[in-house]
Amino acid sequence: MNDLDSHLDGIIAGDPHAFSLWVAGVEPRLRGRLRSFAAHVDTEAVMQETLLRIWQTAGRFEPDGKPDGLLRLAMRIARHLALDEVRKKRPDRVTAAMLEENAIDNREDGSLEIDEHIRACLAKLPPKPLAAINARIHGGWRRDDDLADRVGMTLNTFFQNVSRARAALAECLRGLGVNLGGAR
Amino acid sequence: MNERDRRRLIEAAVSARRERNLDGVILPHPAWADLPEADRERIFEETRLQRRIESAIDPRRLSATGRAVLERITGAR
Repeated sequence: MNDLDSHLDGIIAGDPHAFSLWVAGVEPRLRGRLRSFAAHVDTEAVMQETLLRIWQTAGRFEPDGKPDGLLRLAMRIARHLALDEVRKKRPDRVTAAMLEENAIDNREDGSLEIDEHIRACLAKLPPKPLAAINARIHGGWRRDDDLADRVGMTLNTFFQNVSRARAALAECLRGLGVNLGGAR
Repeated sequence: MNERDRRRLIEAAVSARRERNLDGVILPHPAWADLPEADRERIFEETRLQRRIESAIDPRRLSATGRAVLERITGAR
C-alpha cells in the first residue's frame, strides 16, 4: 500500500483531515491529467467538482488491490466531466490525448526542497506584489474584490500585482534551476 | 479586447473561486469563458504555478483548490 492509499480508510469513514492529506497528494497529478482539455474546459472547475464527487462517493468505493485506486477513480471522473463538456460544446475538438485513459503528467515536482525555493523567492518580492500574492495564497478561493480590499488596492491593481509577483517568482525559481512554468 | 482587459481576465480566471448553479454543480469562471483558446492554455499554466506556490506555503500542503473543496465539505461556505 502506498502513501495515498493509506488515507483511504479515513476518507471512507468521512474524515475531512484524511481527505485533505489525500487531496494534497493527488492534486498536481489530477490537474496534469486535464492539460489536454485546457483550451476547451475550465479545468479548475472540473478539479473542484471531481474532488467533491470523490468525497461524496468515497463511502461506496471498493479498492481493487492496485495502488492509487482512489486517484485512478478521480482521474476517470475528471476525464468524463471534461469530455462531456467538450462533446457538448465542440465535439469536433475531441483529441486522442483527451480519450487516453491513463495519461498522467509527471512534470509536477512536489518536493519539499522546491517548497524552500518558493519561500525564498517569495521573500525577495517587492512589498506590493508580495501583499497581493499573499492575499491570493491565503484566500485564493475568496472573491478577488474582497482580497483587493484587504490589501488596499483596486481590483485592477491587485490583478497586476499578483501577475507581476508570479512572473517574478517564476523567474527567481528558474534562476535556482527550477522550472514550474509561468509567464516570462 | 485590449491587452489590459485580457490580462485582467486571465488573472481573474486563475483564482480558485468558482460559483455553483442551483443543482450544486461548480461552474466555469466567467472570465475563462470570455477568453480565446490560446489564453485558456495560458490560464492552465498560470494556475498550475499559482497552485504550486499556494501548496508550498500551506501547512497542510493544500492549494487554494484543496482549501476551497475542504471548506465546502466541512460546511464553512
